[in-house]
Amino acid sequence: MKTMFRPAPLVLTVAAAMSTGCANTTPSDSATSQPATKTSVVEHYADLAHAGYEDALITAKALDEATDQLLANPTQANMKAAKEAWLAARVPYQQTEVFRFGNTIVDDWEGQLNAWPLDEGLIDYVQADDYQYELGNAGATANIIGSKSVNVGGETVDVTNLTPELLAGLNEIGGSEANVATGYHAVEFLLWGQDLHGFEQGNGERPVTDYAIGADCTNGNCDRRADYLDAVTDLLVTDLEWMVDQWAADNSDNYRSQLMNASSDEGVQKMLFGMGSLSLGELAGERMKVALEANSYEDEHDCFSDNTHNSHYYNGKGIQNVYTGNYRRVDGSVVSGPSLSDLVAQSNPELDTRLNAQLDASMKALGVMQSKAESSQNPMPFDMMIAPGNAEGASIVNGAIMALVEQTGSIEKAARQLGLEALSPDDAGHAF
Amino acid sequence: MQRLTLSICLISSLAAAPLVAADVNSADYRAQWHTDIHAGYQNLATQSQALASQAGAYCEAPSAKGLEHTKQAWLDAFLAWQQVRYVDFGPVEQKNRAWQFQFWPDPKNLIARKATYLLKDEAAITPEKINESGVAVQGFPMVEYLLYDQTFREGERALPADRSCQLLVGVSNHIAENGEALAKDWGDFKSAYVDNDQYTNTTVRAAMAGLELLEERRLATPMGLRGNGKRTVYRADAWRSGASLAAVNATVLGLDQQFLTTFSKLLNDREQAYLAERIEEQAKEIQAKFPELDRPMAPLLADNSQFRVLQSLYVHISQLTALVNDRAAVELGVVRGFNSSDGD
Repeated sequence: MKTMFRPAPLVLTVAAAMSTGCANTTPSDSATSQPATKTSVVEHYADLAHAGYEDALITAKALDEATDQLLANPTQANMKAAKEAWLAARVPYQQTEVFRFGNTIVDDWEGQLNAWPLDEGLIDYVQADDYQYELGNAGATANIIGSKSVNVGGETVDVTNLTPELLAGLNEIGGSEANVATGYHAVEFLLWGQDLHGFEQGNGERPVTDYAIGADCTNGNCDRRADYLDAVTDLLVTDLEWMVDQWAADNSDNYRSQLMNASSDEGVQKMLFGMGSLSLGELAGERMKVALEANSYEDEHDCFSDNTHNSHYYNGKGIQNVYTGNYRRVDGSVVSGPSLSDLVAQSNPELDTRLNAQLDASMKALGVMQSKAESSQNPMPFDMMIAPGNAEGASIVNGAIMALVEQTGSIEKAARQLGLEALSPDDAGHAF
Repeated sequence: MQRLTLSICLISSLAAAPLVAADVNSADYRAQWHTDIHAGYQNLATQSQALASQAGAYCEAPSAKGLEHTKQAWLDAFLAWQQVRYVDFGPVEQKNRAWQFQFWPDPKNLIARKATYLLKDEAAITPEKINESGVAVQGFPMVEYLLYDQTFREGERALPADRSCQLLVGVSNHIAENGEALAKDWGDFKSAYVDNDQYTNTTVRAAMAGLELLEERRLATPMGLRGNGKRTVYRADAWRSGASLAAVNATVLGLDQQFLTTFSKLLNDREQAYLAERIEEQAKEIQAKFPELDRPMAPLLADNSQFRVLQSLYVHISQLTALVNDRAAVELGVVRGFNSSDGD
């Protein structure tokens, strides 16, 4: 269980309201619509979250169906289709990560869906000589698929029937955060397998015959592997259904209603805190700078599929969505409404212009990373960019880091502009 | 997991904060801070050079006694680093120097992986090789691994094996060069620092972040007070040498000598004498627990009756953090910005 235990939390000081002269300025571009208010901006934020999780659910259902197809008929074509469905499911989900920091309900829930890095030996067979697991993790080689019961740190669990509930209960077994039994990265591992290429070209090479029925089965336990994949994809769908409900309008008993009943300053603070935390500490720091400076492909986010560049790209997009109030859905339609950008522009148009330009610059830098990784000639995925001595790769990753650092500086300024003096991390509800 | 000492620096936007707007001559405080932090950096340079010399001497003529001397030299230099570790701005931000000194935490045991990779390789371990091998190779944890790691010391590559000695000397030299460059650059940084009002905030924020790191990451996390509640020494720094708690004390000592003296004066000038006194007392009480608490953390985590000793240290550290970060900083109008610990 995650608990916050701070003897005396940092104080969130909410300064007096902005000077009325500034606050009453009407946005120039929308003379007919009402000026954005903190309340309308928070309401639209909830709409963005709802649309994002709905898209994550739609694409997770497609993934669930594609894996069902694969398990019923394990062919190369069905394997390819399942992988494509997984890649498509990451696009909306990564854009929702910006809702995680600041909204405790999301942060407490997301570990079951997106925890990383994971010690994949908990789930299935691994090639031991190229497998570095978390120090002290007794579950790192438990191999649930290969066993009827697992013993981790003195705790024995019967794993005969691989149900979604059982697998959810195995997360963090033995007290190690690297014991991730469910979620996108578990599915990724079950589709791609271990990436044994290190800094070289290539990702996981799991043969489709790992799901073959009968004598063609490779690496053993194909039936249990199939049950496992079936259970984790089902769980992904039910988990996302729950989160969609939390953000639905016209429900007096969900998270959205709590958010709307709280002060609008609190809501705006959550929005900015989520943007800044994902931008600096998580994306620029944990997911890129650590991997780059330590040349550590163990710290690569989507390491089995080499889809890390897209995970980063859509994380960045999510930050931009929250500021601009715009989100392009998976069906191509656009959700838009009152935004933080509108609010900041009311009292400091120059800051708004700058922050918008910086968000664009970050997307451009992440776009360079994305196109280099997917280039038809000499593609350079993220794990190659961070290799020792790869100056070109390091410069691409550093470009993205610097752009994110710069935009975070302006996010802090925007918070101050909107009268939020301290961006206390305490509301995030996760361990520091 | 997080590494708070990421050298990502936010462009501070606090030019209009109350601290600076008030009519005290902030440059006086900064001049004193500059001098005191400089002393800390010079100590780091001296101790790092001593480590490099001792490592070289040991590998020239290996002996059991020489190994013990090298361990002591490592500890002295590592603790000198702990004293200045909270300074997260200025020249230490260049070239990821903070990470070069100490890549931490390392849950995936990258240190061991990198060591194995370098020692298995045939290419000579040159300064260039160390320069391009990334931060996990370049600092105190790598030297600690070579000197202390149980598995490594029982293996075929244990010191004083030839390549292992090359790595020991190479990394120690790298640390010494960084120590010297940092002390020099901090000296050159003087006028930029003293003349810029913004650095008062930056300095207070560095101490706040350092205390937050100490309380949350260096104590609460290995003690199992966060996350899933599991106690694990691998989340502490310097677990291989058993110097985790000695390092805690060194950081408090560094903060006390380099930061709190001037910070107290600043509080006193603001008629916050009571708060200043409370903070100084709290820092002294922590240091009074040493050297008795200068013990490896692992046995204290394993035994509930001994765990209480750790809890008491933790409570004292968290009280100091609360006094500085919540009471004093708020009093002075210094606000916490985003920092690299705002992830999961």
